[in-house]
Amino acid sequence: MNDIRRDDAMLTDWREAAGRFERSVASAVVGQDRAIRLITIAIFARGHVLLEGDVGVGKTTLLRAVARALGGAYERVEGTVDMMPTDLVYHTYLADDGRPRVEPGPVLRQAEDLSIFFFNEINRARPQVHALLLRLMAERTLTAFDREYRFPNLQVFADRNRVEREETFELPAAARDRFLMEIGMEAPSDAQARRALVFDPRFHDTDALIAGIDGAVLDHAAIAGIGAAIQHGIQASPAIETYVVALWEALVRPGPAGIRLPGIDMAALIQGGASPRGLAMLVRAAKVRAWLEGRDWLVPEDIRAVFPEVMAHRVFLEPVYEMRRAGIVPALCRAVFDTVPAP
Amino acid sequence: MRRAVSTSLVPLVLASSMAGPVQAQVRAVEVRAPRAFGYMLGDLVRAQVDIVVEDGFAIQAASLPQRGALAYWLDLRDIAVSQADAGDARRVRLDLTYQTFYAALDVRSLEVPGFTVSFVSQGASGATTASARVPAWTFTISPLREILPPAKENPQDYMRPDGRVASLDPRPTLFTGLGFAGLALAAFAGLARDRTWWPFRVRRGRAFAAARRRLRGLGGRPDAAEAYREALLALHRGLDETDGRRVLADDLDRFLDRHPAYRGQAPGLVAFFEASRIAFFGNDTARARGRLARPEIAALAARLARAERTA
Repeated sequence: MNDIRRDDAMLTDWREAAGRFERSVASAVVGQDRAIRLITIAIFARGHVLLEGDVGVGKTTLLRAVARALGGAYERVEGTVDMMPTDLVYHTYLADDGRPRVEPGPVLRQAEDLSIFFFNEINRARPQVHALLLRLMAERTLTAFDREYRFPNLQVFADRNRVEREETFELPAAARDRFLMEIGMEAPSDAQARRALVFDPRFHDTDALIAGIDGAVLDHAAIAGIGAAIQHGIQASPAIETYVVALWEALVRPGPAGIRLPGIDMAALIQGGASPRGLAMLVRAAKVRAWLEGRDWLVPEDIRAVFPEVMAHRVFLEPVYEMRRAGIVPALCRAVFDTVPAP
Repeated sequence: MRRAVSTSLVPLVLASSMAGPVQAQVRAVEVRAPRAFGYMLGDLVRAQVDIVVEDGFAIQAASLPQRGALAYWLDLRDIAVSQADAGDARRVRLDLTYQTFYAALDVRSLEVPGFTVSFVSQGASGATTASARVPAWTFTISPLREILPPAKENPQDYMRPDGRVASLDPRPTLFTGLGFAGLALAAFAGLARDRTWWPFRVRRGRAFAAARRRLRGLGGRPDAAEAYREALLALHRGLDETDGRRVLADDLDRFLDRHPAYRGQAPGLVAFFEASRIAFFGNDTARARGRLARPEIAALAARLARAERTA
């Protein structure tokens, strides 16, 4: 009983800390409350995040702000077409004495203290690099210099430019599945925020803007523990279990679930995806959302709030519909929630 | 008929064969007509041409006159050819039907133009042709009416009185028309039903009325907690059906925006959603019943059903 009380108090304290974290990031990144909330959820669900959006909507700024507010060691690489997996792991150079040296690269440099690994323009890197990320993301380990490195606090943030298709490589399905969320970022729609972004000089100097954020609002080393406490502390009732399984079924087999989208053959729409790992991540993220909302049990709204970001990129459409993905998948997600009864 | 005509035919022209070895192949040409007078504007003028030729000669169809206008006042409407043996020769008979359009002002003779018909005989030493000249012949045409009628006081007297026409009974046609109109209407109704046009576009069922009925049906369930959950579910389905989508607790404001008729029930709906959350997802039916008891759910459903009727 005492344990639970202590846990409750701790969770409440952390919820306040999470609120401070969100406010602190929001002070630098305006009009992106939803993206900030989703990233906060991802941090406490211990999941990796892929940001997607147009050029200049603030993807990188958001991730830098998050890294600053989260504290901990931070590494950043830029995806390029000639990048090789070893470039991430090793740093090779000729030293002053003329001898070649091999030293730890970006991933290993901070050793096991690394908390945020920020991969900019991930779709510019080749699939070999994506493959290296698979293990780093799924197991948070890496073998180099003949030993295994562990990164218990590691969180991978990546961003991807949606507009460009030249000299880019689509992420393999396995790599996409390892991202907890794929968050689409749009420029803020609020007129006030738009005006501020364009005319307020504070937003023009990104470095100064990031430096103005309170650093290390959260203790990054403790987040893994608090994440586990959240997963144990938030209850899922049988009704919500039934609901999630019904959502899954409707997403994978929309035809039999009674979902009709105009101009689409529902029987030949979904090729696969929506893995059990994806569903598990959905529930993890939903539990964090319930915790942030101050509840200790899940409600359907928690599932709905994170569903598009967690599930949409795990659904694979038949090739005929793949090009229209950006329109079809959100409509499908909406239809799923309009169809599956809750409770 | 033809026989009757032919018996009363009178010969008009008789052209015997001319002397000479070549012409001997056509022995005689005779034109006959029922009469040579008494024709008026638009009458059909029939003529029969008998040509007697040597045995073995056959008529060349291409040499027959063509149907159509022969002159501004004369059409050839029809021509028929028949053949018969006549002793040691062949008799070819042309039945010609002309029509005259000559508007005569007095009685006068008109000449029907003659024509030439060719015959051919296929012999061992090649084909032999012969031609028979059908001569022109005349008939007499008469005017339809007087040219100078006697003066009359009333110009209308020049007109002939209208013939009396028995009035037709329009009712059978009318009834048939009405019958088909009815059939068309029925077919259109079937189409409208198939396409769910108005008035077959079904109104949304009275969802809250159905929820209230379901709530009444739940009456005496032994398991109070289970009955309570089913009561909540009944109202949930009513809300879902009214909105055409699933309404979650957070959607209440948008639901009320879309269906302002229920805005008056907002406090009840808020309490309902809170109780439903606690009952289904908080797993605490007792606390939920404290928030909103069974009778209150029934009362809320009744109020919603009333609002629904005015919506």
